[in-house]
Formats: sequence, structure tokens, C-alpha cells
Amino acid sequence: MKRNNINKIKTACVICVVFILIPLAVALGVWIFKDRKYNLISIIVAVLSCVPFFIRFERGKSGVRELTVIAVMTAFSVVGRLIFAPLPGFKPVTAVTVISGAALGPEAGFLVGSLTAVVSDFFFGQGPWTPFQMFSWGFLGFCSGLFFFKRKKPNLALLCLAGAVGGVAFSLLMDIWTTLSLDGTFLWTRYAANVASSLPFMAIYALSNVIFLLALSKPFLSKLDRIKTKYAIFSERK
Amino acid sequence: MKYFDRLHPVSALAYFLSMLLIAMLTMHPVIISVCYLSGIIFCGMLTGYKNLLKSLAYSLPLTVIIAVTNPLFSHRGETILFFLNDNPVTQESILYGVFASLMLMSVFYWCKNYSAVMTSDKFIYLFGRIIPKLSLVLSLILAFIPKMKRKFREIDEAQKALGIYASKSYVDKIRSKMRVLSILLTDSLENSVETADSMRARGYGLKHRTSYALYRFGLSDGLFLAATLALAAADVVLIIFGASSFNFYPALSAVGFSALPCALYVCIALLGFMSFFAEVKENVLWRLLKSKI
Repeated sequence: MKRNNINKIKTACVICVVFILIPLAVALGVWIFKDRKYNLISIIVAVLSCVPFFIRFERGKSGVRELTVIAVMTAFSVVGRLIFAPLPGFKPVTAVTVISGAALGPEAGFLVGSLTAVVSDFFFGQGPWTPFQMFSWGFLGFCSGLFFFKRKKPNLALLCLAGAVGGVAFSLLMDIWTTLSLDGTFLWTRYAANVASSLPFMAIYALSNVIFLLALSKPFLSKLDRIKTKYAIFSERK
Repeated sequence: MKYFDRLHPVSALAYFLSMLLIAMLTMHPVIISVCYLSGIIFCGMLTGYKNLLKSLAYSLPLTVIIAVTNPLFSHRGETILFFLNDNPVTQESILYGVFASLMLMSVFYWCKNYSAVMTSDKFIYLFGRIIPKLSLVLSLILAFIPKMKRKFREIDEAQKALGIYASKSYVDKIRSKMRVLSILLTDSLENSVETADSMRARGYGLKHRTSYALYRFGLSDGLFLAATLALAAADVVLIIFGASSFNFYPALSAVGFSALPCALYVCIALLGFMSFFAEVKENVLWRLLKSKI
């Protein structure tokens, strides 16, 4: 019991440190680089914002079975991205992340989303966009977990709405990165142009998410529910 | 890839991170050019010069496009070349576009080099002790992916034999693909729990378990790491002290060639081309040894 408390305090400390480090990185950017190095600072901030989630998972008491189920869902979305690679923008990653969040909880949702970004970029090439994808997808999974995990049965229409919103949000977040990487600063005109040029992709993201969610959410949710009851995993937090 | 293949992952990671950091730190033309050149030369070394030419065939036009479109967003600068829709197109903003896109490309190529050297096993070796659970999940994922791809093909073929994909309609095709994906998930989930149980049976997560490490931190790894850290620290200090100050707007400032900037250029060139020369040295050594047989 005592040890548990110490661990909790440790975790809280680490998370606090992260919350201090992020503003510190921004402040350093303003101070040393005279507010001109948004691209570098934004990458550091994106990496740091993933850290609390990872630490919570690392210090949590999820067992081996939970780990393997998370690994399966992630591998599944990576394989989906590889299978649908010929169709640009059309990928099941967001759908699988949203479903994982809804069925397995916010933490698992974050892990599936962010690890998909890391692992699939082993195949598609790592780049400065990786931290952004990690955070964007992870955050989508986390939000979906927050909204849907506690409910008995997630509403299909709501899930699809989440997928569509997620597609748009993902595109908007990635456009922020494109804008920052081109100028090192943030120009609203440039951002508007980038958003406009990626509108077709945004539409494909949103549409493909809805298609995948319509087709996959019902069978996948029932499969995950079955695994959850059969092996008694991901249940104690419910 | 001979030298970097055997280099300890810690040294390699430190090298790539410092290269990426420096590539993004300034907009100074000389520094960006050095980072870009060293990046593509090393990339050619790692992936073969044919592949490099192929990727340049994509990236060079992109560079030009970014350079040409920058004046559309930025009308700052003194030297007006001409007017486009009543908006001035300035020499400064074109040059800014050139170097912004070169910076983007040098980051891109250094990331490419990073991917070529830091394979997933090195990544897991590095972070296995700091984040044991996450790196376990990571290695599980990497093991599941080829299995799943194989399984996907098997299920696909079995379902084809059962008669799906028969109709030519596009909706039916997508529906069949989804069906295969759904079957794949059932199979993988069930297997995963078995994997977990067998891992526990073999003592995963017990204390005092050792793990096999493939890499040993030797003298040359230490030297490489020390050189990387020293050069990177020197670069960052020089940049903070303003050795890299350069303005595109309102008018291009002169490229400095006094002591401080020159020291900075030399340090960055040494750091950037260090990897290339290490690789060349190892190749020459290898040829020599082979010729003696």
C-alpha cells in the first residue's frame, strides 16, 4: 500500500515536470531564438505532450494480456495503413484508434493512436511530422475513450461523427505542422492556403473514417467486448 | 553501411539528434547548405546513389515550387523584381523560400538517414530499459505486423475460394475487404491472449531477468560520441552568441566571414561530414584488408 503511494507520488512528479518543461521550451524559444523557431519548439512540445500518457501507462498496472491486446490493435491499424497505402488518405488508422478508445479506454486509445504513428513511420519514413501524428492520433483515441468508454454501448452515429470530426481535426493539426516547417513562423495566410490545398485530403480522411467506422465498428466492438469479458481484461477501470 | 552498422546505438542516436537540431536551428544560408549537402551525400552512401537520384527527382522540383510560391505569402523585402496582381515579388522573399525549402529538405534527408541506421531493434535496445512496457508493446507490434500481413493474404485467398469478390461492384469489393479485416481481427485477438499467457508462463516481468544485448560500447563508439557532443555543443554555443545572425528581410545581410562565423561553419561542416568520412574510411579499410587476402 505504502509503495503504491510512493509510486503515485513519483508519477505525479514526473507529470508535473512535463507541465513545467513545455512552457519552458516555449520560453526558451522566445528568449534564445527571438520567437523565430516555431518548427523546432513545436516538435519538442509535441514530443513532451505525449510523455505524460506514456508514463502513466508505464507506471500503471496493466497486465501482459492488456499489453498484447493493445499491440494487436496497433499492429492491425498499421497493417491496414499498409494495405490501403495505394489509396492516398484512405486509411483505417483513425477508425481503429477511435474503436480502441471506445472499447478499451482512453489510455489504450492514446497508445494505439500514437504507437501506430511511430511504427507505421518505420515503414513510411520517420520525419519531423512523426511527433505530430503521434500526438494527433493519440489524442483522438484518448478523446474517444473519454466519450465512449463509460457508456454501455457506443452510438454508431456518434462514433461516425467522431470519426469525421477526427479526420478534419487531424488534417488541421497536420497543416499547422506544414505551415511551421515552411516558414519557421506561423503565417495565417500560409496556413489558410495549406488548409485549402489539403481540403480534398481532409474530405477523404473524414469520408474514409466514416466508411471504416460504419463497416467495422459493430463487429470490432463486439469482438473486443467478447475478449474483455472472456479474459477479464480492461475491466477494473470501468 | 559498414561503420554505422556497428556503431553503438547511443552514439548514432546522439549524432542524428544533434544533426537534426542544428539543421533546424538557424536560417543561415551557409549552415543550411552544409546541412543539406552532408545530408544528401550521406544518404547516397547509406541507400545507394541510384536511390538518392530517384528521391532527388521528387525533392528538387518540390524545392523549386516552395521557393517560387513563397513570394505569394510574403511581400517583405526591398529589392522588388516585378509585380504580380499588384503585389510585389521581391528577391528577398524568393531567396527566403529557397533556403526555407532547403532546410526542410535537409531535415527530411537527415530523418531518412536516421531511419536507415536506427532500425527498430536498435530503437528497442536503446529504450528497453527506460520504458520496458512500451518497448515490449513496440516489439510485439513489430512481430505481429508481418504475421498479420501473411494471415491477411491467407484469409483473402480462402474467402476468394468461397466466392466473395465475385461481383464487380465497387461497394461489394470494399465490403469484402472489410469482411477479411474483421476475420483477421478475430484471429489476431484470440492469438494475442495466448501469446500473453505463454509469455507469463515463461516468466515475463519477473525480477532479475537478464536480456541479450548485441551492442558493446567500445573505444571508437566513445570517440564518436565525444566528437559529436563536443561539436554540437560548440555549434549551439556559437549560435547562441550570434555567430549565425543573418537577415533575409528587409534586405539580405552579408554572410559573415569573421572569426566567430567561420569557426561555426567549420564545426558544422566537421559534424555534418563526420559520418560520411567515417563510412568512407571503413570502406577503404575493408578494401585494403580484402586485397591482402
